[in-house]
Amino acid sequence: MILKLKQEIIEVLNLEDVKPEDIDNDAPLFGEGLGLDSIDALELIVLMEKNYGIKLQDPAKGKEIFKSINVMADYIQKNRTR
Amino acid sequence: MIMAAVSKLNYTVISSGYAAVNGRELKHESAGAAMLAELYREYIGDWPKFFKMDTLSKVGFVASELLLKEIGDKRMEGEEYASSRAVMLFGTTASLCADKNYQETIQDSANYYPSPALFVYTLPNIVTGEIAIRNHYRGETQFLVVDSFDAAQMAFHIGCAMQDNTTGSVLAGWVDSTANDDFSCFMTLIDRDQAQDEEWLSGQLNEIMNNLKQ
Repeated sequence: MILKLKQEIIEVLNLEDVKPEDIDNDAPLFGEGLGLDSIDALELIVLMEKNYGIKLQDPAKGKEIFKSINVMADYIQKNRTR
Repeated sequence: MIMAAVSKLNYTVISSGYAAVNGRELKHESAGAAMLAELYREYIGDWPKFFKMDTLSKVGFVASELLLKEIGDKRMEGEEYASSRAVMLFGTTASLCADKNYQETIQDSANYYPSPALFVYTLPNIVTGEIAIRNHYRGETQFLVVDSFDAAQMAFHIGCAMQDNTTGSVLAGWVDSTANDDFSCFMTLIDRDQAQDEEWLSGQLNEIMNNLKQ
């Protein structure tokens, strides 16, 4: 699940020069590290809906869900509908 | 009487299978979108946001980087004169390529997932912003959508931009993209003296465009 999620994030956010092993499972996805921005956050919301059937009603919740790969994967496991 | 401009324009040209700086061809093994990525990795390489850009922005960005590198022009972070550099681009197809890519994400009602990352590029002037952000320019930015290439029209608009007593130079160019693998672009840097003589400037822009067509 973790590896698959990393691969999906790399693809959807066009992180061309980033490999799955470059992403620390516990490191923040935003701010330092991957250097993601607000548009990337919206893309991640679309990714969760498209790939896992999770419709985030409150986009502000993304801040907590996208804290790290581990947190995001855990949220997906608990809420996925497909 | 207006004096002739002091020096010829430096320029970059990029089309789907060709890239050159001041007439000097840059070697590459790929074509189309892959060529832009190859040029980025070979000559730029420190701006990962490149990979998130639409084709119009990618080609404009790469052309500007190659030009500024050629002439040794420095980024303007924190500089007071950052307001003196304008970016003025021209083209016929505007954001058509990005529009089509975005349209594909909303075409099928059963698979309706509008992409925010594609949507943000559905305006042609985003490429001028990408260049300005990269170089910390705080001057005027414009993307003029025109019917066809007209060097005299370009020279006129660039001359007008110089009338505000703030603009001292214009990063100007032609950028078109109809598909991810189909694009054409030239980029040049014009200072106040060079913009004074519209006829001379028009001739220079025509010459550069001819290099792009070859």
